[in-house]
Amino acid sequence: MSRGEELIRGAGLVKRFGGIVANDAVEFVVREGDLVGLIGPNGSGKTTLINVLTGHLAPDGGAVVVRGRPMHDRPAHVYAGMGVARTFQLTQLFGRMTVLENLLVPGLTRPGSTWQAVVRRARDTLAFLNLAHLEDLHARNLSGGQQKLLELGRCLMLEPAVLFLDEPFAGVHPRLRDELIMRIQELHQGGRTFVVVDHDMESILRISQRLVVMARGRKIADGPPAEVRTDQTVLAAYAGL
Amino acid sequence: MRGLHVYILLVVAALALVFADRLSSYWMHVAIIAMFYGILASSWSLLAGYVGLFSLAHMAFASIGGYTSALLVQWTGIPIPLGMATGIAVCCALGGGIGWVCLRMSGPYLAIFTLGFAEIVRIALASEDDITAGMAGLHVERLFQTTSRLPYLYTAFALLAVSLLLMGAIVRSRWGLFLRAIREDEQAASASGVAVARFRILAFAIASGFAGLAGGFYGHYIGILTPSLGGLDLMALLVVMAVIGGMERLPTAVGGAFALEVLLEVLRGYGQWRLPLFGILLLLTMRFARNGLLTPLWLQFVRLGESRAELAAAARDVPQKEPGL
Repeated sequence: MSRGEELIRGAGLVKRFGGIVANDAVEFVVREGDLVGLIGPNGSGKTTLINVLTGHLAPDGGAVVVRGRPMHDRPAHVYAGMGVARTFQLTQLFGRMTVLENLLVPGLTRPGSTWQAVVRRARDTLAFLNLAHLEDLHARNLSGGQQKLLELGRCLMLEPAVLFLDEPFAGVHPRLRDELIMRIQELHQGGRTFVVVDHDMESILRISQRLVVMARGRKIADGPPAEVRTDQTVLAAYAGL
Repeated sequence: MRGLHVYILLVVAALALVFADRLSSYWMHVAIIAMFYGILASSWSLLAGYVGLFSLAHMAFASIGGYTSALLVQWTGIPIPLGMATGIAVCCALGGGIGWVCLRMSGPYLAIFTLGFAEIVRIALASEDDITAGMAGLHVERLFQTTSRLPYLYTAFALLAVSLLLMGAIVRSRWGLFLRAIREDEQAASASGVAVARFRILAFAIASGFAGLAGGFYGHYIGILTPSLGGLDLMALLVVMAVIGGMERLPTAVGGAFALEVLLEVLRGYGQWRLPLFGILLLLTMRFARNGLLTPLWLQFVRLGESRAELAAAARDVPQKEPGL
């Protein structure tokens, strides 16, 4: 497990939707340099946890702390400004804006950013993601996999401390999925921190250094993948026991 | 030669101004009213087309701007431009307030809310006879003490040009990108670091300010204000102008305002049947040209004079620096 600086901490997070407890006293810590796989059966509260940790949902209990700062009731753009980036389970791009413009938006929200520098960095990011030839297309015209890559690029333009990727491999062509995995690994080796949620166990196990498992709103396991895979509670949760 | 369209527009505008005195008083009035609607349609398109906030209170803000300026000039004797500036400030503040109240609303909910606000304004203006003279109409001091319409034409032109330059600068800046991002997906914009609430409020305030400017000018041109200025029928006309022209671009919204105002006059002989015609035009636009009838023409126009190589370059065109005023 990584021993880097603590970037984000969810302490005793509770989130309810009516009578359903989506997150039940969840403790979750991400440290600098982590590459965490967050898994769990459908409805286990993974996406809710990401929404709470990135400011898109306010917790009903507990607290989110980003780089030592309590984030009580702060809106999502403040999280983004502090380097907490995320993608969405169903890709959410600016569909009628060009691929390049999709990257300019987060880049230009950075304090002190200049137009020229952001355009240059956006083009570099597109080149890194193999999307440079598509920069003038409207984002809605990209394929599913390309949209996932562009969403990753949009996160990178925030110069994030931590990236939460919500089901990045879902519905993506295997070739593009491999490309996505390669980019995540490259970025991680370059020092980026990731939390990746997905149902594609093969992909998650390929990249994760730490695996967190959720079931019925609770965190039931947290550790190296080899250990977690043999954990009886995890096996029971996946078998529906 | 890139930018040819700008030179053409400048030449046409200069010729129009030079030869404006040859227009009959009637057509001069039509041109002034077209420019009044031009400011309103473009500022409404800034709100509805760029940010996706479909407000039906725009004419109410024009009304508020008009009445504020008229009453202040009447009561305190301040110069008319100062009265108009105060009207703009009041509209910005009220617009920002409405934007704040409506932060979590969009689509039909926002439309209904703003419609309710517009009706409250209209009924309040109609009911407070002692202050606003109600439906009898408030007599307003005119901007120029002359019977000629020419000074008003030049003023309307200047106001429209300045409004378009300011709004154009906004939509071409990073603010413009953020506003369009909010229109596309508020959650994604927020995740990208855009302060969605702040920009929604700002958009409401700015658009309402321009509506107040138009309303102030209108009052001091016509010389009388009635609550019907903020009524639903004029709001509907404004929406039709912007939608038929193309509400996602400022020039096409202005073009829609000009086209419909001229059509209204040309077809005057058909009486009330003109309005169903516009309704049909609106239906056809929504069915076959959702970006507006003038948008394809405008896109062709801005590419005038560009060689094939330049056209290819334009297709990749992204400003290399933040466009300024």
